Amino acid sequence: MAELYVKPGNKERGWNDPPQFSYGLQTQTGGPKRTPLTKRVAAPQDGSPRVAASETSGPPPMGPPPPSSNAPRLLPVGSSPAHSVEPMGFPAFESEALIEDVLRPLEQALEDCRGHTRKQVCDDIGRRLALLQEQWTGGKLSTPVKKRMALLVQELSSHQWDAADDIHRSLMVDHVTEVSQWMVGVKRLIAEKRSMSSKKETNEEKSEAAVENRTIPSFQEAL
Amino acid sequence: MMATYLEFIQQNEERDGVRFSWNLWPSSRLEATRMVVPLACLLTPLKDRPDLPPVQYEPVFCSRPTCKAVLNPLCQVDYQAKLWACNFCFQRNQFPPSYAGISEVNQPAELMPQFSTIEYVVQRGPRSPLIFLYVVDTCLEEDDLQALKESLQMSLSLLPLEALVGLITFGRMVQVHELSCEGISKSYVFRGTKDLTAKQIQDMLGLSKPAMPMQQTRPAQPQEHPFVSSRFLQPIHKIDMTLTDLLGELQRDPWPVTQGKRPLRSTGVALSIAVGLLEGTFPNTGARIMLFTGGPPTQGPGLVVGDELKVPIRSWHDIEKDNARFMKKATKHYEMLANRAATNGHCIDIYACALDQTGLLEMKCCTNLTGGHMVMGDSFNTSLFKQTFQRIFSKDFNGDFRMAFGATLEVKTSRELKVSGAIGPCVSLNMKGPCVSENELGVGGTSQWKICGLDPTSTLGIYFEVVNQHNAPVPQGSRGAIQFVTQYQHSSTLKRIRVTTIARNWADVQSQLQLIEAAFDQEAAAVLMARLGVFRAESEEGPDVLRWLDRQLIRLCQKFGQYNKEDPTSFRLSDAFSLYPQFMFHLRRSPFLQVFNNSPDESSYYRHHFARQDLTQSLIMIQPILYSYSFHGPPEPVLLDSSSILADRILLMDTFFQIVIYLGETIAQWQKAGYQDMPEYENFKHLLQAPLDDAQEILQARFPMPRYVHTEHGGSQARFLLSKVNPSQTHNNLYAWGQETGAPILTDDVSLQVFMDHLKKLAVSSAC
Repeated sequence: MAELYVKPGNKERGWNDPPQFSYGLQTQTGGPKRTPLTKRVAAPQDGSPRVAASETSGPPPMGPPPPSSNAPRLLPVGSSPAHSVEPMGFPAFESEALIEDVLRPLEQALEDCRGHTRKQVCDDIGRRLALLQEQWTGGKLSTPVKKRMALLVQELSSHQWDAADDIHRSLMVDHVTEVSQWMVGVKRLIAEKRSMSSKKETNEEKSEAAVENRTIPSFQEAL
Repeated sequence: MMATYLEFIQQNEERDGVRFSWNLWPSSRLEATRMVVPLACLLTPLKDRPDLPPVQYEPVFCSRPTCKAVLNPLCQVDYQAKLWACNFCFQRNQFPPSYAGISEVNQPAELMPQFSTIEYVVQRGPRSPLIFLYVVDTCLEEDDLQALKESLQMSLSLLPLEALVGLITFGRMVQVHELSCEGISKSYVFRGTKDLTAKQIQDMLGLSKPAMPMQQTRPAQPQEHPFVSSRFLQPIHKIDMTLTDLLGELQRDPWPVTQGKRPLRSTGVALSIAVGLLEGTFPNTGARIMLFTGGPPTQGPGLVVGDELKVPIRSWHDIEKDNARFMKKATKHYEMLANRAATNGHCIDIYACALDQTGLLEMKCCTNLTGGHMVMGDSFNTSLFKQTFQRIFSKDFNGDFRMAFGATLEVKTSRELKVSGAIGPCVSLNMKGPCVSENELGVGGTSQWKICGLDPTSTLGIYFEVVNQHNAPVPQGSRGAIQFVTQYQHSSTLKRIRVTTIARNWADVQSQLQLIEAAFDQEAAAVLMARLGVFRAESEEGPDVLRWLDRQLIRLCQKFGQYNKEDPTSFRLSDAFSLYPQFMFHLRRSPFLQVFNNSPDESSYYRHHFARQDLTQSLIMIQPILYSYSFHGPPEPVLLDSSSILADRILLMDTFFQIVIYLGETIAQWQKAGYQDMPEYENFKHLLQAPLDDAQEILQARFPMPRYVHTEHGGSQARFLLSKVNPSQTHNNLYAWGQETGAPILTDDVSLQVFMDHLKKLAVSSAC
């Protein structure tokens, strides 16, 4: 779900700083490797320097490269360049996500938690949601952040805790500067909703079992 | 024969995480010493085994108190009597009651040959949470501090949920932050100049009450009295919001730094307090002390350089001339801390980001003895630091964190062998016994070591001695055996035990030399010898180490080369040895043994990684990989030689620490002319892209993240490639072979050709 992209490194601060991979790319479990680069060539035993196949003497001729139709196929089978892939869009989110669509479910979730979670924690989360709103309406958040927050809220509403958590992590990794102040509140909200929901489930199981115990005798009685 | 052995070696590595220098073992002590390369192995105790689910019961141990080997496929079993015979000490043991149902057709996994490596999960026992103690230098530039703060805030989202986390900040003073959800942040401030004992630290922090281990974390009840010990180390799920704000509010060290001075940085005391805090609250449980620093320690114990900028930090030349006045004392301070941390099972990481040195030379034992990470970068505001740091928290195919803690490795050998020592990120547990040799190599005098921080790539070199006497020949077809038992704390906090039991045939050198030769693993041998060389280099003079290395290589060629005496041109090595001299040639030129091209910190950094990587990565460090991309076919490996630099090729070089992509002259010209944008030259676009994609695959996975150099013929960065390739054409011998091939290198280094010629001369000479 997260975006897959590569950004260049910070050349001003680190010479030869490597490119930066998005969270989505870093957490991809590896598929088949393109070309495992682990082989070596033995030096010739008889001591002569290796003469390369295409030797040129003098400066290289400045003719063009071999055109596509003539050249042998050189791409390893099954490769696909992953350099600078654009963020994966979803058709439903072509238009910019709306603040209400994101904030309302979050505030609702917070309300749900108020009975079960310490007041201080709820207030803290509330403060951070207010900060989120302020930054959003103040135009301080980028489009990818807004997109992903909309996705996160969807997952949260569908009780997909792991997916919501993963999106929160991807936002912290890829956009920490924008989100760090308030994202920890969202993280906590997901955790509280998750723990509430599992408590609810165990209570439901218990009461279901109790109901069953009551109905069976009456069923037998009916017989 | 050769192909079979390569397969055999590979299968064994995949299954057991072990690579031996010799796979057929010389059966007498005398003959073994004449083999030049010792009998030794590289062991990756927690090698990734996605196909090996752990078993949910505990191992069965031999009942002899001086043995306690684990039941394994080499043991003889009497299924009727429910007895098993230990293959190491021959003790007959009764199976426990739970094994009553076993039979020839119903074997437990640990007796099956395909489970020569097996992992057990120990369900019982206390489960302690993992602990992460951040020790943060605040003497950083504004944007560096901001980047570091953000990385630390981000890490709170990556930490295991039940983990405990703590924060110490330092500059001129050292501040230990009390973490409380109540919103009032308190901290204890220490002077950075004064050395403190563990007891003093614990007293001053109010930790003098006996520490009680944290039970399973439960949601905090309002009336619950918090344990004294947990004021400074709180569970992430409770404290993340408070800590996020605390980190966000961190300021640069307020003490002004005047012109011409360095900031006063009390790293020595900060680390001392961190070690003491954990020692007093959570001994013997998995913990990481993570030191983030942007410059050298300039104050207090562990000081590496004074605060006057005009006095530079020590270089190798200074050290050679005995002109590094703080080095010995500082090193001693950090060694003391490292040993204390290791005793408590805690590991120390160092994340050092600065343009100048930060004192990694003096502090290296902190990471090297405990298995902690050493990361070196230019700034915290770089992709190299940010992503390397993220990868600390990477997860495996099961969604578990790869990091593991508190490992003890025990080695058992059959009676013809003893253990001489280990080289890697470990400390000795001083376990004496019948397996321990008096001849030490590396960390010796023990058959048990402790590795406080490790992951699935951590690899130790373990060295053995054949002790069987020459006049007591071993029976035909008999095998020697070794068992490696690694007990550790998995990131799920459950204890696990990984057991690997291997065997190899003994062979008589006189009659079976060719077979022994064919079973030589030149890659493993090269890395094992290299570890020995680098280990020596820490305490011996550089030239002495090189002379020793050369001597061993000459002896090896004398023993295993085919040649006519006094005729160098007749010299040949079999396939099993053909790459070995090249490895030694590149090792001699490597930054592990040639220090004067690097700062002492850089050398320490390179050596740190060399002493713990697995075989494939270690070989890359010794002899970088070079692949050539062209229109003539798929990418192919080429000789690490200047003759591989050609105008119409793209080269990809991997040194482990750098990935270099180099465009040949013609390729660069074509790119400048923009052929890659023309549809009829689409294959040129693919050619340019291919090495980039291969490089990306490496960059995406490697820890630590390498630097990335993209350069071309004539580019200033081309020096990274040129300095690594063997200078077979220098300005001295440019026209020696008539035709100009490849690019000339301007250096007076001895070339591989000269090296090999010299080697052959010495090997065939009767004078040696």
